[in-house]
Amino acid sequence: MSARRIDLAGGTYVTWRMSSTFSASPAGSSDRELMTRAAGGEEAAVGRLYDRYARVLHAVAYRIVGQRADAEEVVAETFAQAWRDAARFEEARGSVPAWLTMIARSRALDLTRARVRRDRATTSAGSEPGPGPAMGTWRSDPGEAVDADERQRKVREALAGLSAAQREAVELAFYEGLSQSEIALRLDEPLGTVKTRVRSAMQKLRDSLSPYFFERAE
Amino acid sequence: MSDTPHSSPMDLAAAYALGALDADDARTFEAYLASSPEAQREVAAFREVAALLAAGADAPAPGAELRARVLRSRPGTAAPQAASRVSAAARPRRSPWAVAVLASGMAAALFLAFALGRSRDTLRQELAARDSTLGELAARLRGREATLNAILEPGVRIYELTSSGDPKPGAQLFVDRARGVAILHAFRLKQAPAGRAYQLWFIKDGKPVPSLTFNADTTGHAMLQQVPFPAGGVISAAAVTEEPATGSLQPTTPILLVAPLPAS
Repeated sequence: MSARRIDLAGGTYVTWRMSSTFSASPAGSSDRELMTRAAGGEEAAVGRLYDRYARVLHAVAYRIVGQRADAEEVVAETFAQAWRDAARFEEARGSVPAWLTMIARSRALDLTRARVRRDRATTSAGSEPGPGPAMGTWRSDPGEAVDADERQRKVREALAGLSAAQREAVELAFYEGLSQSEIALRLDEPLGTVKTRVRSAMQKLRDSLSPYFFERAE
Repeated sequence: MSDTPHSSPMDLAAAYALGALDADDARTFEAYLASSPEAQREVAAFREVAALLAAGADAPAPGAELRARVLRSRPGTAAPQAASRVSAAARPRRSPWAVAVLASGMAAALFLAFALGRSRDTLRQELAARDSTLGELAARLRGREATLNAILEPGVRIYELTSSGDPKPGAQLFVDRARGVAILHAFRLKQAPAGRAYQLWFIKDGKPVPSLTFNADTTGHAMLQQVPFPAGGVISAAAVTEEPATGSLQPTTPILLVAPLPAS
């Protein structure tokens, strides 16, 4: 697409180059600062963390629970817990997004297990239609949007670099909450084989993705 | 630690971070983890990997109202409805005896409630409904007051974004350069079609920088609070385009509203 010159009052103009690539990375507070402020009850700090990580938390929850409304509930619960426990967050045990992700995963798995129990009891499992387009998406930080798109591409590339068996083992563990023994049973494979697959897959992902970890430079 | 092929406890770090260790292995590894800073670093790194797995997934974006719901969940306030639903669903099942005792307790409580009279119950409900309405009004007032305070801050400048459309939409942009934030109020704006939204852009050093997406309400109004104002460079203009609802990294449609933002 070609550039278009937009004339503004006062003799200024902008060039609207629709195909141009550019980046914007406005400086923001670090996750640690936001956690400290959230622990002090500051709503804006929680809002900022939400803007940064709600999409990815929603993605993990959605992948596990498979329904948009439930995924949103998991995200709401995750932030409620994070806000409550902000003062207890220990940076040494991982970054803020890693911590949030593990909370969301755990809650989503709890919800799924409870649903399975309920469905077994009532045999009335209902499924919702697939998700529609999401309106009013809150994309508040252009720099973060660029980071997120780049990160998504790299994660997909890294996952594509695993063997199908490695990918399956990791996904069964992460999204279905299966232990290595349960994965071995599910796949009818020796436990040792599954352990090796999980370990080598995670190491491979770590090697490819370490430059894209969520952890922010302070 | 059972079953091959781990030669060292460190081999368990990846599966531990993924939540995939069997209970016995997890207990053994946690004992080791507590005394090994190296293992703690390994687990932290693998947790980053686990957190990234979701970043590759395709999923619909959460609805815009979820943000407000999250911000209402300040500790010490009532838990959001959704939270209680998840918790209730995840709660372990009680034994039949416990259920029976609970059921008879509830029956007794219900009987007592009826004995106390229906009118009292109705009054309570009315009070609760009024409390809820008052709470909503107070929250709305607090929001309006915060907007007003932001607009009245010293140094805030107002810019008019104009258009040639019919009916002619418009917008006001309140820019607080010192604090790096802006507020956008748009009016006479048609609601964007399904799957589409409006997006605000800042022109920095002659190039468009993407900002928030938004949509008009049924009265044609839209208000964006706490819009991050780009830092550094020369911000010469602000503009609005129509884009996909998830926003664009670069404009894909012609400018709908625009205003120069002279610094002085």
